[in-house]
Amino acid sequence: MIHTDPLTMQYPTAVQTSLSANAIFARFDPSGRFIATAQHQGSALIWDMDSKNAIRWLEGHVKPLTSMDWSRNSKYLLTTSKDWNAIVWDIETAAEVDPCQRKRTVRFDAPVVSGSFHPKNCKILLILLSTGEAFIVDLRKGHAGRFELYDQHEGDDQRPAAFTVVHFDPIGRYVFVGTSNGSILVFHSRTKTLLARHKVTGAGIMRGFAFTKGGRRLTTNSSDRVLRLFYLPTYPSPPASSTTPSQPSTPNPQIVNQIQPESQVLEQEFEPVHRFHDPITKTAWHTMSYSPDGDWLAGGAADPANHKIYIWDIQHNGQFTTTLDGGREPLVHVDWHPSKPMIASTTSQGTVLVWHYPTPERWGAFAGGFEEVDENVVYEECEDEFDIEDENELERRKKIEEEQFVDIDTLDDLLISSSTGGTNGEVDEDTAWALDEPDDDLPGWTLKVVIEVTPEY
Amino acid sequence: MAADPEDITSAGEDSPTDDDNASQTTEDDPQVPQPQPPTNEYLDRPPPPPTSTTSRDSPRYELTYTMSGHTQSISAVKFSPDGTLLASCSGDKLVKIWSPHTGKLIRNLTGHSKGLSDIAWSFDSVFLASASDDATIRIWTVDTGLTTKILKGHTSYVFCVNYNSVSDKLVSGCCDGDIKIWDVTKGKCLKTLRAHLDYVTAVHFNRDASLIVSCACDGLIRIWNSATGQCLKTLAESHNAICQHVQFSPNSKYILSTTHDHAIRLWDYQTSRCLKTYTGHQNSKYCVVACFSVTGGKWIVSGSEDGKVYMWDLQSREIVQVLKAHTDVVVAVAVSSARIPHSYDPFLTDIVQMSQTHPQQNMIASASMDSDLTVRVWIDKSST
Repeated sequence: MIHTDPLTMQYPTAVQTSLSANAIFARFDPSGRFIATAQHQGSALIWDMDSKNAIRWLEGHVKPLTSMDWSRNSKYLLTTSKDWNAIVWDIETAAEVDPCQRKRTVRFDAPVVSGSFHPKNCKILLILLSTGEAFIVDLRKGHAGRFELYDQHEGDDQRPAAFTVVHFDPIGRYVFVGTSNGSILVFHSRTKTLLARHKVTGAGIMRGFAFTKGGRRLTTNSSDRVLRLFYLPTYPSPPASSTTPSQPSTPNPQIVNQIQPESQVLEQEFEPVHRFHDPITKTAWHTMSYSPDGDWLAGGAADPANHKIYIWDIQHNGQFTTTLDGGREPLVHVDWHPSKPMIASTTSQGTVLVWHYPTPERWGAFAGGFEEVDENVVYEECEDEFDIEDENELERRKKIEEEQFVDIDTLDDLLISSSTGGTNGEVDEDTAWALDEPDDDLPGWTLKVVIEVTPEY
Repeated sequence: MAADPEDITSAGEDSPTDDDNASQTTEDDPQVPQPQPPTNEYLDRPPPPPTSTTSRDSPRYELTYTMSGHTQSISAVKFSPDGTLLASCSGDKLVKIWSPHTGKLIRNLTGHSKGLSDIAWSFDSVFLASASDDATIRIWTVDTGLTTKILKGHTSYVFCVNYNSVSDKLVSGCCDGDIKIWDVTKGKCLKTLRAHLDYVTAVHFNRDASLIVSCACDGLIRIWNSATGQCLKTLAESHNAICQHVQFSPNSKYILSTTHDHAIRLWDYQTSRCLKTYTGHQNSKYCVVACFSVTGGKWIVSGSEDGKVYMWDLQSREIVQVLKAHTDVVVAVAVSSARIPHSYDPFLTDIVQMSQTHPQQNMIASASMDSDLTVRVWIDKSST
């Protein structure tokens, strides 16, 4: 067994290494080869996870970073900062010039709290400002504009609740918005219309969202110090494309009313499937992150004196499994590796701890045809084990076996990487919209290797 | 018995041109009658090489250039991934860069203080790594001919070297049995694997660089987790034959090994099963290299101790062409894979189709030892 068996997928248990990154948070790229760390003074660093070297410097912001998001094939990185800017970095061409080149800078009129790429097109950004406003910023020529997301209904009678979290679902069809009064709003990415409004009782201010890869489960972090896990319902089909607001401004309220009668907005109280909290210390949570298979959830505790990551087993009723203790430096951020049992947790001192699952050395692997057993077993001879067979017969059989067709050059990951289409091959309207003017974040691009020149040669 | 191999030939040779799926179902279909070798004579090794195959798919390589210049045994030849350059290295401490399109020497890379055993190109054809008996690996910028980095750390002769596919790492094998993984950007050793008890004769990364395969004069093929350095599996060649060259197939699902019992084998390393055996050449003493040729027809190409280069059909295992190449042992062969640029790679549904729509020249380079000392370039005329 060469590859890690998905059934034995584990959570990390020990610190493998630490990066002195002076970081405020760290995010793995989708391939898991790199990790980006955000620095206090506004720069970002990209590290190679194999060599643990910083390989790229992104200098552009002048105030602390607030969020970073990788494009799906790691070619681009979106950084947002308190300096009112969001920057899209091109990691690939960055090699020629050091520090890195920015591809695009988008300026806002308030500090930017978070930014993320549309999962299918890096030319569509989702931005949240500290004023509680959220925008879909479309950088495509045919769709260009900033579209504000807002809740029409609440605007009528009272001051609308500020938006505190925004997040695309994993396929980019919806935008999930958390508000300061404990609601979750679901917008349709293409039409920017409100589809559903969920009230979460007792949640307080929404602080963070985490989706599983499939997008069926959503975990929220809120000011009442509880992580809640929800199973998402299916949302009503979006309005026809003919009514798509095409003006690069906020949608005209009249049009919105036409296509979006209030009755069509799904009003639903959300009841969590699981609640995760620490019943004794009542600690708050900084962030949470799912394991790649969605079977484990890691929560970073906002404990002022300890570095603690809580692990819950989602497969088994969300039961609490263990706490990873990372010492005295308080934790500020956690991020789970996209494919391995590995977590990066950032301390308040700026160190990034890389947690892994240490695999014991299998000495049996050093001997050909040797199998390790946990306990002694009585050896049972196979029926034909010591039979003397005609050598010619054996060779003849071997010859026939060797007639089997062997495919030496078709790549398996083709099937996986071509997932830009619809979920089951068909391209629906939302996907078509997202893939119009596609980005150039293609799989298989290669980071240019920059060899440090040593003067002695 | 002449009719039977003919059957295999027609079944096997349909595959490169026809729809791959169609041919696969044919191959897997248990109803297809398998050829029954009627006599013992058929089982004798080497089998009678059916060199007279007249299929349209057979390669027709012809000698195009003979390049001489090395003064001691040549140990390796490698085409650059973009197909524009050919590098050779030798016991005379030199790496020579040739143009395979003109047969001219472009430059020598000088700097090593002892003979060279192996070379490897980075994926972008910019850098070349060379492994030397002076216990170092040098990384050269080929355009300038200058050394960019010297990797020091091995305690003895470095015997083999290879890049990973993104070329930020190198793996090297040493004659003391160690394998080292290097970070190219800093020039530092990341890991040392106490891998074997004897000369490590070949090391190779798989496509995503998660695995390393190695073989050594202790007769073992081992597969390693490159991130943790742990041994995952050991394949022992049957017949106690010493394996002296090993590599992953282009899709990294199989490994190809050459051994001193005059045989080349294709292994499924997941199940430790030998899937194909290629015989007919001579190999009992030297480290002779074999390689995959996947542009055009799918062949296995290998040097031989009788001074020839042999080509087998990947599926049918029949010899499709023999090049009467050199007057001494052919230790090194290389195939110009003329790889599809890396950035398009994953969109490719079928490499064969790609090469059909964009015809290209398929080249083989071969190099020989002491009494011959030439590098020869062969071009396939069947595709032009």
